[in-house]
Order: sequence, then C-alpha cells, then structure tokens
Amino acid sequence: MSRFTRSRFAVVWIAAAAAALALSACSKPGATNTTPTATGGPIKIALVDAQSGQLSSLGAWELKGAKLAIDEWNKNGGINGRQIELGVFDDQGDPTTGTTLARKIASENYIAMVGTAESAVTIAMAPILRDAGIPNITSGQSTGLVAVKSPFLFLNGPTSTTYDETLAKYVVDTKGLKQVAMITNNGSYGKGEHDAFLKSLQSRSITPLDDQVVTTDQKDFTAQLTSIRSKNPQVIFIGAEEVESGLIVKQARSLGITAPFAGGAPQGTPVYLSTAGAAAVEGTFVSSPYLSNDINDASRKFSAAYKAAYNEDAELHGAKAYDGTQILLTALKTSNVATGKALADAIRATKYKGLLGSFAYDDTGVGIFATAIGTITNGKLVSAS
Amino acid sequence: MQVTIQTFIGGLSLGAIYALVALGFSLVYRTMGLVNFSHGNVVMIGAYLASTFYISSKLPFAVSIVVSMVVTAAIGIIIERVLRPLENKDFDLMLIGTIGFGIVLEALAIMIWGATGQAVPSPVPAAPIILAGIRIRTYDLLVLAVAAAATLLLIFFLQRSKRGTAMQAVAMDHEAATAVGINVGRSNAIAFMLGASLAALAGGLVGPLLYVSPAMGGSLGIKGFAAAILGGFGSIPGAILGGVGIGLLDSYAAGHFQGYSELVTFLVFTVIIMVRPNGIFGERTVNRA
Repeated sequence: MSRFTRSRFAVVWIAAAAAALALSACSKPGATNTTPTATGGPIKIALVDAQSGQLSSLGAWELKGAKLAIDEWNKNGGINGRQIELGVFDDQGDPTTGTTLARKIASENYIAMVGTAESAVTIAMAPILRDAGIPNITSGQSTGLVAVKSPFLFLNGPTSTTYDETLAKYVVDTKGLKQVAMITNNGSYGKGEHDAFLKSLQSRSITPLDDQVVTTDQKDFTAQLTSIRSKNPQVIFIGAEEVESGLIVKQARSLGITAPFAGGAPQGTPVYLSTAGAAAVEGTFVSSPYLSNDINDASRKFSAAYKAAYNEDAELHGAKAYDGTQILLTALKTSNVATGKALADAIRATKYKGLLGSFAYDDTGVGIFATAIGTITNGKLVSAS
Repeated sequence: MQVTIQTFIGGLSLGAIYALVALGFSLVYRTMGLVNFSHGNVVMIGAYLASTFYISSKLPFAVSIVVSMVVTAAIGIIIERVLRPLENKDFDLMLIGTIGFGIVLEALAIMIWGATGQAVPSPVPAAPIILAGIRIRTYDLLVLAVAAAATLLLIFFLQRSKRGTAMQAVAMDHEAATAVGINVGRSNAIAFMLGASLAALAGGLVGPLLYVSPAMGGSLGIKGFAAAILGGFGSIPGAILGGVGIGLLDSYAAGHFQGYSELVTFLVFTVIIMVRPNGIFGERTVNRA
C-alpha cells in the first residue's frame, strides 16, 4: 500500500462519512407520529427484512409468505373496504440499519410491522417501535426477544428453548443417543441455539463430548470437524444458518464423519439440503414447527397458493411469515383497524389456527410452544414417529 | 499430528482460491496503481456465470468456467473503459468508481439470479483419497492443479510475451513506457481483462466448495485483498504466497481460537504488516498516482 497515501485514505473516509451523515439525516428521530390514517386510504404495513446480503434468502422467503397473506385479504376486499399496502424495507441483516428503518416506518405512518427474520435486528428495533406504538410480529426465535419485555413485540413461532428442548427430548430420551458433540456459530442465532441446547443437555446430566464454535463467516471447518471426529459422537448438534450448516455437513462427510446431525429450523430448509447435497444430510434430525407442505389441508392449500404465486416450494420461513401476517390482519379486522396499544391488545387476544399450529399469545409475546421432529429421509423431511 | 496435517490440507484449497483473487488485485494494481474494489464482486459474477452454465445449460464444468472467464473479461474491459477518462486526473474518483461498480454488479446479480443463491454440485466424484488417515478431497486437488497452472501461464505471459513485457514496463514507469511507444491504455485494459478472468476462475472453482450467492464477493474479496497485501501488493509471487498464507492462517486460527478466529487471523495479519509494511515480497516499484 505504498502509494495509497494517508491523505487519499482520508479523502475517501471523509466522503464516506459525509454520505452516511446525509443519509441518516433523512430520517430524523423526532419525526412526528400522529395517529396514522384513522379512516380512508390503504392500511400501511411495513415488512422489514434482509433483501440483500448474507441473510437475504430468509428475507426473500419472509416477503413471499407475508405478501401471499396480504394478497389473499386484498383479493377478498381488504379490511373494512380498505386495501392493505405492504411497504418493503431492506435491513441487510444489520441491527444499525434496522434502527434507522424503525424510525423511518414510524415517521411514514406505518401502523404495524412484519419481520425481521434476525433476532438481533428485531431486538435493536424494539425500543423505537415500542415508543412509537407500532406492533411488530417478528420471525426471530431468540429468547432475547422475550427478555425485551415489549408489549408491542410478538413472535410468529416458538423460541429456541422450545426447538431445542423438543430436539434433546427426541434425540437423547427417545433415541438414546447420549454421545453428543456440538458445533455452533458465534452469531446471534448460533449463540442462542448453543445455550438452549446445552441447557437441555445439562438438565439430562449430559456433557457434550465436544463443543466447537465457528464464526458466521467461516468457510473451512476442517480443524473443528477433525476434532469432533476424534471424539466419535453418535450425533452432532448443529446451530448455524442454512448455508453454513450445509457447508459444515458437506465437509464433515468428506472427512469421514458418518454420525447424523441434529438441528432446528435451518436444517429443514431446501438451502441446507442443496448446499450439502442430499446424500450428506440423510438422517438429519430436525426440530421444526412446520415439517412439510403435506401435513394437513391448511398446509396443502398454502403450499399450492405459494407454488402458484412464486413457482417454488413453500418452506418454514414463508409459512411463519404467512401465519404472522394472518394474525396481524385478523387482529386489524377484529379491532376495526385500531392502531398503537389497541392493536397490540387485539393481537394478544387473537386465537388463530395456523400452519404452525394453534396460536394463543401470552404476556411474553410468544404464541406457540411446540415443534415436531422430522428426519431427512431420501432427500425429504418426513415426520419422525 | 493428524489434526494438524488435516487442517493444513483444509486450508490449502481455499488458500489457492484466495491466491487467484489476490493475483487479480495485484495485476491491476501493479499496472495502474489502482485498487479495484469491485474485484470481489467480479468473483461473484464469475461464480454465478460458471455455475449457471454448468447447472442450467449442462455444459461441462471446464467449459462453463472458460465461458464465464470470457464474459467477465468483457466486464473488466467495460470497467476500465468507463474509468479511463479519470486516469491520471482524479485518482480518488477512480477508486470510488470501482466501489460503485461493485455495488452495481451485486445489484445486477440479485436482479438476474435472485437473492437466495444456489448450491453447486461437485464436478468430480466425492470419494476422498485416504492417505495414512488423512483425507484429501479429490476436488481440492483439482483446485490446486488449476490454480497452479493459471499462475504459471500468467507468469509466462508477463515475462515471455511481448505484450506482457510491455505491461511490466508500464508498471515500472508509465511515462517512459509511453515515450517508447507502448500503448498505456491498452495495457491497462489487458490488466483489467486478465484480472477479471482470474476472478471468474476463482469464482468458478469456489462454487462447488461453497455456495454461490450475491453476497459471496464480500468475504472472498476481503480475504483476497488481505492476501495481496500480505504477499506485497503488486507482486505476483507475493499474491500466491499471501493467498496460501491467509488460507492456512484462517484454518489454524479456526481450530485454536474457535469463535475468535477471524479476530486472530487479522491480528496476526496486522502484526506482519507492521513488521513488513510492504508485505513479504513488497518493493516500491509502482509510484504512479
């Protein structure tokens, strides 16, 4: 970098900083939030999710699920004769961007928010949304979301504790696999999974044979996997997002690890399966509230509509967002398009039978407390019974 | 011991990929004195093109990579052509221009292929070779062989061909080169073209190892950039050594420092750069603004 002198760097950085300032000034925090559109005009709902960057596949699924629900309602005449308008915002999976967007949707008079898929982003946005009185139905599952204690924050699925307790119960108690190794990443999702699963193991007086932590951006897992291989576990718990999990399993198989993997929602997705290859993921135990598109009439109807709209198969994240959006729209209808606290109370009172099961919210904002166990058999996730 | 050797092998194939990315950075830098910040995104475009031809058009893997290299070479030429008016006038704008191109390429990829990305099946049968308990993936061997061949070809081109020597001359002193009748603009265009082809080669090869998505350019670009600096920015052998060095460093750090591996990798990198500010093979050959 000999010639790339300091002053030049300074110019670039100052330019970048100026640009950042100019951007943040556009959405100043004090922007008014007067009672948004009480009557007339479309009902404005914001969807905040990663539409670019590493986590954009989650964001894309969420958008599809939420949009499907809204299109359905709009086709049937909307709510009280008003159409529902979905504003899409890209948080890039970044909490800082999330807080900027929280102020933006408050100042643009959105009355409710769907998303995000990343607990860390949702947690960052929660205080601003609470102050602005905007109810938020998130797809996050971290127990940290409950710890925020915001009356405006709701989850559209179970928390990590539910996922991992169900998984530990099946793997350890039912299957009798007590030689467990763990590999998790140090991101917000992986950390949550690590803690929740470890707790479930400890409550059964089991110490994992190996507890490896990787970074969210890691590409080569040889060192960690070789260590796991030498401990010879019966099952390997994996707590990482779809693509990284797929890479871990792929590399594990090429290193000669034959033990099955076990995990939560990401391990049930097509991205996990295609990244690792169908043969590599065979036998994976998955704890998920939405195992397949073929469980009951509701899921068959949803997946057919999803396929017709987007020409791809529906999966868990789309289903969660669909359920969450349905709950929000139902609450809007029962409350005659209330806003603020009245809307939050309406959501809390909503009993909804959705794709994931029966929702009944408690004071913590969690509405569902069960997952099912599936195994990947012949390249498909099927219910383990 | 087994873990150590296995980790070494694991780091080697990604190291070879970083080396190819670093070569592209260095080639453009030594010729034009410009850091091409869109390079990581060109890698991503190359990966997408190669995997799309391979999966959708069912072309053989090698042919898909070559086609993708040709297309990205064209993209490289376009980038250079657009930035050419700024050459020797406003270096900072040129630098920001490359960042802009990177953003455009990422947005284009999302428009064409969507945000979700795609997995690429391995083109060689997966069964690894087992040598005294050490497992070597066959695809890794392919990556190493191709990367080595590409490097040798590049060195041969730069040192033996007329056009290559002309580029070396421009790298050393572009005014003197102009004086003896070397077309500097064309030399720059070739540097960009070759750099983009190398990026596509790296992208095509890394597809089956990783997962192709619009965001993949970020981390590969940063590691490749670090590799180029570690070896000595602008130096060809330095780029190779730096790439393999970063790959191995990453691999061992992951084993020993778990969640803090990224931090350790870049701390070690920083210390090396503080001790040797010009990198391992660094020399101040490029002095042009």
